[in-house]
This record gives sequence, structure tokens and C-alpha cells, in this order.
Amino acid sequence: MLPRVLFLVTMAAVGTLAGFSRGALDRLAEGTSAEQELLYLPNGKYLKVMSLGHANLLADGIYLWAIQYYSNYERKQRQRYVEHIFGDVITELDPRYVDAYWLGALIMIVENHDLEAGLRLLEKGIERNPEQWILPYLAAWECYHGKQYSRAAAFFEQAAAIPGAPDVVRRMRAGMMTKVGSLREALALWRAILGESASDRLSVVIAKRKIRELETRLDVETLQAAVDRFRKENGHYPSRLGELERRRYIRALPLASDGRPYRYDAATGTVSSKSGRMLGKL
Amino acid sequence: MHRPTIEHDREMRTAEPMPGRNTSATPVIRMRGVSKSFTGHLNIGRKVAVEDLELEIRPGEIFGLLGPNGAGKTTTFKMLLALLRPDRGQVRLFDRPPSDPAARARLGYLPENPYFYNYLTAAEFLDFYGRLQGIPAAERRGRVRETLRRVGLEGLEGTALRKFSKGMVQRLGLAQAIQHDPELLILDEPMSGLDPIGRRDVRDLILSMRAAGRTVLFSSHILQDAEMICDRIAILDKGRLRSVGRLDEMVASGVEWFEVTVRGAFALPAGVTLLSRDGQRSLLRVSAVESLAELMAVVRESGAEVFSIWPKRKTLEDLFLREIRANRPDGARR
Amino acid sequence: MEAAGGRLLVNTPSIGAAVHAIALNTFREAIRDRILYLLLVFALTLIGVSRLLSLLTVGNEEKIIKDMGLSAISLFGVLTAVFVGVSLVFKEIERGTVYTLLANPVRRWQFVAGKFLGLLTVLAMNVGLMSLALGGLLLLRGESPWPLLPAIALILVELVVITAFALLFSSLTNPVLAALMTFAIYVLGHLTWSLELLSAKLEGGLAVRLVDALYWMMPNLDRLNLKATAVHGLPLEPGFVTLGVVYGLSYAVVILGLACVAFERKEFN
Repeated sequence: MLPRVLFLVTMAAVGTLAGFSRGALDRLAEGTSAEQELLYLPNGKYLKVMSLGHANLLADGIYLWAIQYYSNYERKQRQRYVEHIFGDVITELDPRYVDAYWLGALIMIVENHDLEAGLRLLEKGIERNPEQWILPYLAAWECYHGKQYSRAAAFFEQAAAIPGAPDVVRRMRAGMMTKVGSLREALALWRAILGESASDRLSVVIAKRKIRELETRLDVETLQAAVDRFRKENGHYPSRLGELERRRYIRALPLASDGRPYRYDAATGTVSSKSGRMLGKL
Repeated sequence: MHRPTIEHDREMRTAEPMPGRNTSATPVIRMRGVSKSFTGHLNIGRKVAVEDLELEIRPGEIFGLLGPNGAGKTTTFKMLLALLRPDRGQVRLFDRPPSDPAARARLGYLPENPYFYNYLTAAEFLDFYGRLQGIPAAERRGRVRETLRRVGLEGLEGTALRKFSKGMVQRLGLAQAIQHDPELLILDEPMSGLDPIGRRDVRDLILSMRAAGRTVLFSSHILQDAEMICDRIAILDKGRLRSVGRLDEMVASGVEWFEVTVRGAFALPAGVTLLSRDGQRSLLRVSAVESLAELMAVVRESGAEVFSIWPKRKTLEDLFLREIRANRPDGARR
Repeated sequence: MEAAGGRLLVNTPSIGAAVHAIALNTFREAIRDRILYLLLVFALTLIGVSRLLSLLTVGNEEKIIKDMGLSAISLFGVLTAVFVGVSLVFKEIERGTVYTLLANPVRRWQFVAGKFLGLLTVLAMNVGLMSLALGGLLLLRGESPWPLLPAIALILVELVVITAFALLFSSLTNPVLAALMTFAIYVLGHLTWSLELLSAKLEGGLAVRLVDALYWMMPNLDRLNLKATAVHGLPLEPGFVTLGVVYGLSYAVVILGLACVAFERKEFN
């Protein structure tokens, strides 16, 4: 009886000791382990070799861990190694892991406000996955949000060129052109979308509207440029728009889409369109 | 002729020990109402190994536990050594449970078909057991050498066990069993695998242990060896004790029946059975001396000739076979 | 064969003597197990190969050597603990040597303890040899190996825990299952962070409590992992190694206790 009691008591005591030391270890490790976990992930190239053919699985595992890790907002300084984790580890283990490219980029851009790093990662992904239109598409969007419209346009163009890209990509490209100020190119793109038989109904509807908008804008621009030239040469604004045609500042007077002439205020020399509200700011 | 009846009754077990033996009252081994059964995997199938065993081994005697294979001998031994726990009943060694190391300190054990660590030398082997047996370091070396000599393996201290023949391994097993001078020896089939010289050596060792006042319990299915040295025996079959008692009382030295060969024709008297006939020759079985006299008379009168008379004495084997067969009503061997 | 002299001996060995005898015997047996040498050769080869691999990297070459060296020591230590450990008890039962052993005045728990200590000695020797090889290689390259010591110490502690499990399972079942279960514990021991995460994600109630219980009961082997700290020369919290040793050893003792109980109740048929 006694040995058994003694045994149980000893086990309980040792077990408690284990528990306490475990708790203390956990507390001590709390601060440091974060760094260590991140630091200790070697480059994906090595991991790939070591994974003995299970590189994809390993990439998944690390990806899952990374998601959990980065969703924990309480951790400080968790941003330091994002590019390493996503760029050097996961995507080296599995270069075709499309999700990892854009998630990593997203984290870097949204959390770190580091557009360049995000774009670097996305470009790496684009290079390795040329058939994935989504990657340049996302890159384009990020550029758009970062107000880098010409780069956005370039990315949209890249995405649109990939077979299988949905129509929205071409629409976005055309839209970017407008944003950048290349109205004629935008118009050409919209006309192309309209002309393409493969375009879906939504694209057709939007294209028509956009074409109208762009034509109006271009007309107003042309007219306004002519008015300004008139003023420069004649010292005063023309009294009517028809004068421009008569005096050969323009070849023909364009009409607005509703068939009516464009508005003209002789006092300020401003050309405008009646459908201003539809076009937004011209 | 009186033939003793054999029953597993209590009178046998309380018979007086042989004169000259250690007659201390406490039995060395006592098993009361011991039962053990094994269930197969997933609790399907229950095999009874030993049922309701009552056994007492007294100090200074040589006790033979006999029985066919699978009778439960090894199971019984394992329960004596705390390698198995009985389902029911009580096991006592020197009046203590076998789980008590102090009890096991006083015994030596040799299992059936022993296997020992191949990578050790004979001296390392005995030294290891010497440590477990509590022999102090100062004494161990001398004891190892002495024990090897006692079992006839002298000079082989430095030889690796993997070079030992089966007979040598058996002797070495005996060596570790006797090294610490135990009061009780438990030997499971100690004679198996030995040549006649080896078997004689083992018999001599057992006898010398008794001469020194030690107790020996061994199991065997070689009945001749048991017959030669046992004081008491027990026959175990299918987990039950069929008979227990003093050997000399169970195996009568008197003649059981006569086998007579007669040549010629004659009339068969009562008490005589014809076993076989080959032409003129008849083989007869005569159960009592009186019937023998009658047969002689009849043969003489008929003018036939008695060719041979062979008195048949009962051996342990007869007893053994009879007990075993009685346990199998359909006459099956197993 | 002759009878002995008249003197009767009734001696039971002291606990220390019995455990020591069994440990010594186990050591002798394990030393002769070929698996041991196979694994040792593999580990040493790996350490050598790391030298070659270091040529592939850009920058800190020694990092590769240290990384591979520590991982080799850890991994092969675990493999040795598992493969040699699970066969230790099994072989004795299989071959029947345990019968003559236990027929002597030795208690069953002393048997388990002796096996454990014997195997530990072999493991410590292995780790020592591999560490010497690693240290030697680093010294040859002009790099100080001493920062690796805390990591190696805790690797040894990890091995103690794994060995305890190997003995526990080998007392309960056959070697194949025992090896698998011990490996499972090893893997789970390194994935305890996932239990922590799971517990945070769960809604609460019974599930959370179960997961939490599992988290505390599983050996947290990752806490005994100081490889990153050692390799990068990061600062180590004072007392961390001591705590790690205390945790590992006390945990192992509890598991050994269970192994003793399992062995105590075992029926040898």
C-alpha cells in the first residue's frame, strides 16, 4: 500500500514540476519565439531539397502558418520578414502557388504600405506564371490604388493579353487610359471592345457609353483648343462656335451626341457640353 | 495382490516426509485454489490454462511436475515466479507472495529452452546475474569461476555465448540458477536437449542439491528421469491435477500381470485372456498369480508347452498414460 | 555436478546495484546493435556533406554547417532513441531473457529504469561523438562552436523525453506500433503551436477545454529547440536552458513512471 501511495505522490509532484516549468518556459519563449520562427525558415531552395519531394505540401503548410501568423494583429514587428516568407520561401518551394504571390503582395502593400515590394513579388509571380491573368490584374489594381495610373495601364495591358482574361480586364485598361489622359487611345480601345464579337452584353453597353463620353470630351477639347487659338490670334473670343468653322479654325463643327450643338459662352470662351452631368467633370 | 488406488485426495499430500529430510513445517511452495485462463484477442475465446490447483512442495524434497505438452506446467511455474498473476487462488513461496523480491532471492530458475545474451562471455553473463542476485562484488569473481566448474564449464569464462552449443547453454542456465546457492530450484524441462551424459549430470546435480538440504521442483515429460530421482510427483493434464503423491507409493513395485507364450492347443481358463495367436503359438495375458498356476496346470494337461513367462511391472509411464487417457473419454490422444 | 558448500545466501541487491547491472547490460547490448552504427555513420556523413553544401550558398557558409549539424544530431538522435529503444524491451520478452532476469530478486520498475539509463548512456555517447565532429569541423573553419552548446544540451533533453516514450510504448505493444506511436509523439510535440492556434479559433466550451488539455499534456518539444538562437547567436534568456532541462526531465520522469506501471502489470504468457 505504502509504495503505491508514495509512487502516486511522487508522480504528482514531478508532474506539477513539469507543469510549472512548462508555464515558465512558455512565458519566456513568448517574446522571442516569434523572431526565431521567422528567422529560422531557410531559403525555399534548401527547403525544397530537404522536403524530399513534398515541396508543395511544405509550401502549403508554411502558407497556412503564415496566414495565421499575419492575422494576429497583436504581434509586433511581424511585417519584417513578409517578403522573405512569401517571396523567398513559399514561392521558392512552389513557384506556381498563385495565392501566395498575391496574398504576400497584399500584406506588404496594405499593412506595410510598401507598394514596390508588393509589385516585386507580383512581378515574380507573373514571370513564373505567365498564363495567370489574375496576377498582372491585381498588380494593376494596386497601382491604381497607389495612383500610379500609367503603370496600372501597363499591367492591365499585360493582363488583357493573356488568353482567358475576362472582359473586365480590357475595360479596366481602357479606363486607365482615360485616367492617364490618353483619351484617343482609350477611345480606340473602347471601339475595339465594341467591335469584338466576343464581348459580353455588359461590355457592349459600357463601351457604347464610354465611347459617347470620350467622343464628347474629345470634341470639347478640340473645340476649346480652337477657341483658345482664335483668341490668341484675334485677341477676342469668337461670338459663336460657328465662327470657328467659318474662319477655318476647325474643319467641321461637331455636334453633341443628342444632335444639338455644343454650348458656348462667348464671355468666358468656355466650351461645354449639355450632358455635363453625365460625363462628370470634363 | 493389492493395488493401491490413485486419487488426488488429501491423504497423499499429508503423508510423512522421508526420514532424514528437513522436516520444518512451512512448505516451500504452496498453491491453493489457483486458476488461470487466457482470453484471446478482443476477448474472444477463453482458454483455461490451469484450474483449481492445489500444490504443496515441502522442504528438502525433489518434486516432479509431469504432464503432456500444453498441460499447464510452464504456466504454473510462471505463476510461482510472478511472471503471471493467477485469476483466483493464492501462491506462496516461503510463505510470501512471489512478487516479494525477498522470496525470489531464495530460488533459482531455469526456463525451458533458455536463450541468453549472445554478446556476453560466460563470465560476464554470470557476473550480471550475480549482481542481480545480490552477491557482493568481492565474492562475485570467485563464485563465477566456482559455479562454472560445478556445471562442467570450467575454463570457458572468456568464451562468448554465441559459441556455446545447446548443451553448454543448458549448463550455463543451470549455472545462473545455482550460483547464489538458492534453497529452492525451479527447473522447467532441465533435461531437454541434453545428451545422456548431460542428463546424468543434471540428475546428479539435483540429487546433490537434495543431499545439501535444498528443494527441487522440476517439470519434465521424460518420465524415466522423473522415475529415477523424484520423491513426489504430480501429474498435470489440461490444467488440472490428476494425481499427486509419493512416487514409491503410486508406482507399486509388484507385478501387475504376466505375459505368457504357449505353444500348442489348450483350453483357456478363467482369468486368462488371449492376446493373439500365430499358428501354434498363443500370446496370453494372465492377470493374477492364481490364474497363472491354473494356466500351468491346464497347459501341462493338454500336452502344450509354455514358451515364456514375462512379469509386467507397472511403471510411471503406465500410470501417466492411464491418467491421461482417463481424461479423454473418447480415447483421443490430445 | 557438485553441490555447494553449506552456507546459504539470502541477498537482495540494492536498488542502485540492480539498476546499474541492468543499465550496464543494456549499454553493452545497445552498443552492439548495428542500427546504431548505421545511424551514426549517416549523421557524420551529413555533417561532412554540409561542408560541401556550404559552398553553394552566398554569404554565411558556416550557417549551413551549423544548421545541418544540429538537425543531424537531433534527427539521428531521435531515430536511435526510437529504433533501439522500442526493440530493447521487446527483444528481452521475445527471447525469454526477461524471465530469468525477473526470477531474480529484482523489481520490475528497476528493470525499466535500468533499460532507460543504459539507453540514455548510449544516446549521450552518440550525441557527444556527433557534437565533437561538428565542433571540430567548425573549429577548423575558424568558427567558435561554443554557442551551439545550449542547443545541444536541450537536444539531449529532447532525446530523454523521446526515449521515455519509446520505453512506455514498447512495454505496451509490438515494436512496429511502438515506433510509430513514438514518432507520432515526436511530430505532435513539434506541432503544439497548432494546438494553441486551434484553441484560439474555437468557440469555447468542451472543445476548447479538450484542446487545451491536449496542449498541456503533449510534450512541447519545440520549447526545447534552441537551434535558431544558437546558429544566429541570438541572446538567450537567462535560466532558459535550466528551465528546459527541468521541464524535459520532469516530464520524462512522469512518462517513465507510466512505463513502470505498464511493465508492472504486464503478464508474460
